[in-house]
Amino acid sequence: MHELSIVEGLLKLVLADRAERGPSDRAVRAVRVAIGELASVEPTQLAHAWQSVASEHGELVVEWCRARQVCATCGEVPERQPGSWLRLCPACGDPLRVEGGDELDLVEIEYANENGALRC
Amino acid sequence: MLTTEARQKILAENEAAAAELRERFARAGTLVVDLISSPGSGKTALLEATARKLAGSLRIACIVGDIATERDADRLRAAGLPSRQITTGGACHLEARNVRDALAAARFGPLDILFIENVGNLVCPASFALGEDFKIVLLSVTEGHDKPFKYPGIFSRASVALITKSDLLPYVAFDVERVRGEITTLRPNARVLLTSVVDEKGLESWCDLLRSALGEKRGVVATA
Repeated sequence: MHELSIVEGLLKLVLADRAERGPSDRAVRAVRVAIGELASVEPTQLAHAWQSVASEHGELVVEWCRARQVCATCGEVPERQPGSWLRLCPACGDPLRVEGGDELDLVEIEYANENGALRC
Repeated sequence: MLTTEARQKILAENEAAAAELRERFARAGTLVVDLISSPGSGKTALLEATARKLAGSLRIACIVGDIATERDADRLRAAGLPSRQITTGGACHLEARNVRDALAAARFGPLDILFIENVGNLVCPASFALGEDFKIVLLSVTEGHDKPFKYPGIFSRASVALITKSDLLPYVAFDVERVRGEITTLRPNARVLLTSVVDEKGLESWCDLLRSALGEKRGVVATA
């Protein structure tokens, strides 16, 4: 449900950016966002919500950002399966901390020129 | 290729509204707590009990969000807690603008603590700042001990976790230490309290936590 609120926020940023650019550069080709594993946002639902209300503003491209579990001694735990969490470091048994994964960011708006070709 | 690459928060508008509220609460010296849990975990019951303990000594009020009905605000007012209901009409979380509008309508007057009882939901409210000092998450023992790792978003953001309905522990399979371990894996410095509004377990610690957070916010060293 709240994916629509996220799309609303995103659309406001895209419209503001377009307005700043003036009439010649208005076609948006793609909107890239970074969504973290801890952001409580489901990427497929977000894409559907974008498709429903904002598809004329280009394609939504979601970059999924995993949270990292890190041991102070051994570094990042490589074995963690998506969606599962470890209590302790598999190498040394120390507690782990969580880093990253809270992204909910607009990364980039990619514009095409008026006839649809990319402008370099 | 023509791009705009200034990375921005998608919820920038909500963040700005929340920052305004935060400034306003800082000027007023009001501690603001955002309570998040599944429906039925005991947010309203906790606030009723909190009101009974604090209403005589602190000026407290509540903004409560639900999809429909005034039931929670009615209960809280009956417990002596001035309250304003927000009915979201279907939305699964509160946003900062809801809090701003509810505050304007409620006219609470000067407050020591404002509680925001969010819509019952462990997912969506986690993403939205409301100008609060901290989020607290409630997990009742009847919900099961596997929840923190299943809802890492909220358990990594809440600096206080209350395990509620602890009086029912003898009747349910709920491993408190496992839950404590999962919560502190997601948020190492989280305060985890075991509470019950039936036998009042943990309620004094909860009220102490609120009093010392209020003292800290006002730059006063709390006395025990």
